Amino acid sequence: MLILSYLVATGITTGAFYALVALGIVIVYKSTDVVNLAHGELFMVGGMLAYTCYVMAGVPYIPSLLLAVAGAFAVGILTERIAYRPVLQHGLSSVLVATIGVSFILKGIGRYIWGGRGDYLAFPPIVSPEPIEFGNIMIMSQQLVVLLAAMAVMAGLALFFKCTRAGKWMQATASNPKAAVLCGLRIDRIYMYTFAVGAAVAGAAGVLMAPLTHLYPDVGFVLFIKGLAAAVLGGLTSIPGAVLGGLLLGLIEQLAAGYVHSSIQDVVPFLVIMLALSLLPTGLLGARGLRKV
Amino acid sequence: MKRLASTLCVAAIAAAGIAAVGTQAADVVVGVTGTEIKVGSFGPLTGPVYLYGKLAMNGVEVYFNKLNEGGGVHGRKLVLVREDDFCKPEGAIAAVKKLVYDHKVFAIIGGGCSNSTLAARPEIEKAGVPFHVFAAVADGIVDPPLVNIYTTQLTATVESQAQVQWALDHGAKKLAIIAQHDAWGRSRYEPMLEDFKRRGLAAVADEEVTVDQNDGTAQALRLKSSGADAVMLVGYPKAAAVMIRDSIKIGYKPLWIGQTAIQDLPALQNMIGIGGALSDFVSITTVPGHPDDKQYAEWRERLKNTFPNDDLSVFNLMGIAAAEVFAKVLDTAGKDLTREKFLAAYDTIDNFKSSIYPGPITCKGRHKCNQSPAFVKLENNSVVSAGTIALK
Repeated sequence: MLILSYLVATGITTGAFYALVALGIVIVYKSTDVVNLAHGELFMVGGMLAYTCYVMAGVPYIPSLLLAVAGAFAVGILTERIAYRPVLQHGLSSVLVATIGVSFILKGIGRYIWGGRGDYLAFPPIVSPEPIEFGNIMIMSQQLVVLLAAMAVMAGLALFFKCTRAGKWMQATASNPKAAVLCGLRIDRIYMYTFAVGAAVAGAAGVLMAPLTHLYPDVGFVLFIKGLAAAVLGGLTSIPGAVLGGLLLGLIEQLAAGYVHSSIQDVVPFLVIMLALSLLPTGLLGARGLRKV
Repeated sequence: MKRLASTLCVAAIAAAGIAAVGTQAADVVVGVTGTEIKVGSFGPLTGPVYLYGKLAMNGVEVYFNKLNEGGGVHGRKLVLVREDDFCKPEGAIAAVKKLVYDHKVFAIIGGGCSNSTLAARPEIEKAGVPFHVFAAVADGIVDPPLVNIYTTQLTATVESQAQVQWALDHGAKKLAIIAQHDAWGRSRYEPMLEDFKRRGLAAVADEEVTVDQNDGTAQALRLKSSGADAVMLVGYPKAAAVMIRDSIKIGYKPLWIGQTAIQDLPALQNMIGIGGALSDFVSITTVPGHPDDKQYAEWRERLKNTFPNDDLSVFNLMGIAAAEVFAKVLDTAGKDLTREKFLAAYDTIDNFKSSIYPGPITCKGRHKCNQSPAFVKLENNSVVSAGTIALK
């Protein structure tokens, strides 16, 4: 029973990682129909910016977090203006390819600026690094911070899309860009801010998770793959789906590794996703009906 | 007067002729002139494991710069030419060809990734270029031995055997393995399994961890359930940090035995974050102590002056250490340098006391020149020697 408790608790906290990454992917996809394949690198940029401010320059944590999120937001705007907008007229597949290019460029920049300082950069935790007792098990407090942050980001985004004009514009543009233009919406700007908001969420995730993932130029890749899997499982257009997908992915991983063998930890979740998608092509909570991908 | 002038003219022409012949003679040796020796290097300069290439090469270059400031080796300055192999087999083959046939280097000091360096071995053998391995650990690079390949890095098999030996020497009864199963991990994991078999042992648990793992609770629970009192850790620092952190979380504290990929213990402690996390951890070391130690002050300063983005790391020191032995061999080969004399000089390196490697370097009669695994541990946040072992 103790083992099960540990595995479930760890599955939930690990799942929160994936959920936080998945949220950023969903925001961009929901509004632009594009999966931003550079999302993992935006995560890295956010973490590295915070490391520069907090560890190297000695700026307090909260301003460092805000600066990193603002920096990631700015990188989101820049990448949209420089790399995505010029190829948008050639179709979404061109934008997809551009996101791959941006991913490599950001990684290269990461290596140039933050490489050469050791293989992994340790980011000090914002709460005690010691595990805390939770019921009959121990949990890392930083993992709880990530879990709470994922919930907060999810709630904030749900409100943003439901209650704000900008959120509704983004959804309208995603549903029917031509109609959005006819209604007077400047979809180029909406795309720009969408990529920027997605980047800011990735940046925030990068900062919050840095004490657990540690930082290196390639830190974003695997998290992006897991985040994408979580988003697909939950439904690429659904914010609650991203969180649900992340949590399920984390749980499946832990239970498989704990009860079967650690060698299948990375394989089993993807088998489950393939099975789920064959039964529910739009994911667990995704919009039903056909959508352009 | 006329006769004197013509005698001087003849003497001058003869001297010029002799000088020209001398220069020509020096030029006959590929990559060697009267004033410089061109040395090639290949390894990952970009990509996720650039540390094993770029940073090690930065170390080599810093060492060469120091030698050059003092006049070089027998009056010749060392020039380093780098090629990126992207840590890929095809990249390494292309890099070696470029170094040998385009840059026409005298010798190569390099090899960051095991797989790519292994792939380049036939090309290096064909070219006959002397090759000194500075970071790659696969035994197959030097085994079976080739006349032109030597390594001063501890090889994977030596390290794996040393991990098991350390556990047994320190009274462990139930041994477990947690290993990465990627190409790097397998080059250590498989020799470790063979060593278990050779000793008639069976691992009580054999778990896998991935290089990007963010949580190791499931593995830690399985290790704990097996009752293992010593765990051989075959992984990169992140995997190691996650495993030790999550083992502490569930109240499991075995003897952890790491290898050279996790020898920067203060960095590992920082990554784990929990005080005293490494109280039961030892690791094999390539370089004794920590790059921040006083003994490396000169290299820290030299590195910073040449590569301002680098903080002296173990990877830089690997390059510096290999370059020191390489330069010793060059010096031993003498002023009339040829590839044959250079390779023959390796066979005279016997118990060479390097300023960086923890044990003596012996290439006499063997091509794996470094067979002295030393262990380090963390005490009061300082890296101290944990001892050495004799492989059985």
